Amino acid sequence: MKIWKLAMPTLLLVLGCSFLIASFQIEKSNLGNPNGPLYFPIGLSILLLLFSFMYLAQEWKKREEDHKVISQLLTGRTPKLIGLTILLGVGYSLLFERVGFLISTFLFLGTLLFVLNGKKKWMTNIIVAVCFSFFSWYAFSELLGVSLP
Amino acid sequence: MDVNSFMTGLMTSLEPINILWVIVGGFLGTVVGMLPGLGPATAVAVLIPVTFGMDSTSAIILMAAIYYGAMYGGSRSSILLNTPGDGSAIAATFDGYPMARKGMAGEAMAISAVASFIGGIIAVVGFIFLAEPLANFALQFGPAEYFLLMLLTLSAIVSLSIGRMIKGFIAMFLGLLLSTVGIDTQTGVYRFTMGVPHLSEGIDFLIVIIGVYAIGEVLYNFLTIDDLKKEKKKVGKIWFSKEQWKRSKWPIFRSGPLGFIVGVLPGAGGSIASMISYTTEKQLSKKPEEFGEGAVEGLAAPESANNAASVGAMIPLLTMGIPGSGTTAVMLGALIMLGIRPGPLLFENQPETVWSLINSMFIGNIALVIINILLVGLLVKILDTPPKVLYPLIVLLAFIGTYTLSYNTFDFYLLLVFGILGLLMKVLDFPIAPLVLALIVGADMEQNFRKAVLSSDGNLGIFFSSSISIGLIIMTILSLTYPLLIKWIKSRKEIKRNLSSKDVS
Repeated sequence: MKIWKLAMPTLLLVLGCSFLIASFQIEKSNLGNPNGPLYFPIGLSILLLLFSFMYLAQEWKKREEDHKVISQLLTGRTPKLIGLTILLGVGYSLLFERVGFLISTFLFLGTLLFVLNGKKKWMTNIIVAVCFSFFSWYAFSELLGVSLP
Repeated sequence: MDVNSFMTGLMTSLEPINILWVIVGGFLGTVVGMLPGLGPATAVAVLIPVTFGMDSTSAIILMAAIYYGAMYGGSRSSILLNTPGDGSAIAATFDGYPMARKGMAGEAMAISAVASFIGGIIAVVGFIFLAEPLANFALQFGPAEYFLLMLLTLSAIVSLSIGRMIKGFIAMFLGLLLSTVGIDTQTGVYRFTMGVPHLSEGIDFLIVIIGVYAIGEVLYNFLTIDDLKKEKKKVGKIWFSKEQWKRSKWPIFRSGPLGFIVGVLPGAGGSIASMISYTTEKQLSKKPEEFGEGAVEGLAAPESANNAASVGAMIPLLTMGIPGSGTTAVMLGALIMLGIRPGPLLFENQPETVWSLINSMFIGNIALVIINILLVGLLVKILDTPPKVLYPLIVLLAFIGTYTLSYNTFDFYLLLVFGILGLLMKVLDFPIAPLVLALIVGADMEQNFRKAVLSSDGNLGIFFSSSISIGLIIMTILSLTYPLLIKWIKSRKEIKRNLSSKDVS
């Protein structure tokens, strides 16, 4: 629990540092004040770092306390569901333009339904995946004129 | 009020196609808003692509209908499932759910629909008279005043995260930093693009909104997806009695103007409006002990207030381009995407669009009462659809919505990143509104700051040079210190109480 509670403030500190370093590397401007584009990001990075330190201190004091929601996130099938959804999202991104909207959407939606809704309800999963893939293609592509691959 | 523009707007909003959009938007918004954990911000974010290909007036009418529909939908799930769609529907659980448990779900839904309608109408009338004077006032604002107004809005929204202000500030700074990604519009310099050409235009805040609200919310709901109990709902009679109306009418009429005023204030939204009206009615009631046990006025008052607040929040949004809450920030994103630039000149440049929207709010409120009363049975059936089927569909809609923004699958990865960020923020109890709001106003805020400094040759005194600026600075300081002051007063009271109890013992 301790590691998970301190992970976010640490991540924010790393993010703040990265933004600060990257801010100093921003090109100087040829127009107006050469440092004009730098001030805002530098100021914000410093403020983010400052508040992240305060957050870390706050979490450090409560590091041994239980956090119900973090426990929920890490137990049962929740991490698996979240991980699979993200992975399927990445797969969908890779397939979308290669195999086209209808096939990639059917595969993505169908698999996600099987993951969430279970194998036992395979009929519902397939019907929903087929109908919704076609319906969304028809609605966006035909009715709304959105160009889909 | 410009009567000609008002009439033109009325005629436009009465066109059959626009009435159809109001009904479609109201229904879709109600359905998404009803889903547990999903509120108006998610409803608008997910349904943005529906407006593609439409003319801007119809699109804005549809957006507003989705927004109000989701507000109605949020209270349906409060009453039936004790699960509010968003913060502003929380108060509806206090007495709405106990009413449903007593077999009065239909009466509760009818009174909440009528209260929302009356609250909305009161606020629309207020909107008609207040919006233009406020837009004219906003014309006096220069870059310094705009910068300070945005600072006030951000500080107001952070200060509402009572008990987690550090997290509120972190969310805000993250949002502001993200707004600096891309080409700097004043100098053409690239910032934080990491060599990715697609990032040179910056991170589209709609991707962040859809990621954080839609993907993030769905992932967060996975935490409890196997615990959701399926309850069969008995709706009962779908209208309220004379006695119930007698008890609710004054709370409804009092809470409308109250909610409207709260809605106009930056940072304060439907949640605060509904809570204030609930506590006010409890204090005024002759039977305060019935509150929380199914008192009809305890449901009617906050429902009237939160709808009025949502109309009130459209005033700073349309007249100054300042969204006061997460949902209005999403609305602003949608408006900008439609080519509508909210601000004081909107009333001069696009009067027909503005007045069509205002009139459509009237029609939308009427349509939503009808939808929510006539279609109660259908809406309850939709609520019976398993979340395990609905959530994948929402994830898919989020992907399609993202693709239609710039037809580039690189955005899918950004969507997933912001979905994970949204999940982490929800798990760790970070307020999301400051992030979204900061991301949206960030670029303008920086540009106005730099313009102001440039125009005064680097003299920061420009930020104290007008009475408006000074007023805004005072309000910013007050908004940030007010929660601390309240905390200090409470702790003083507690110390006194402890001391007096020790004296007694």
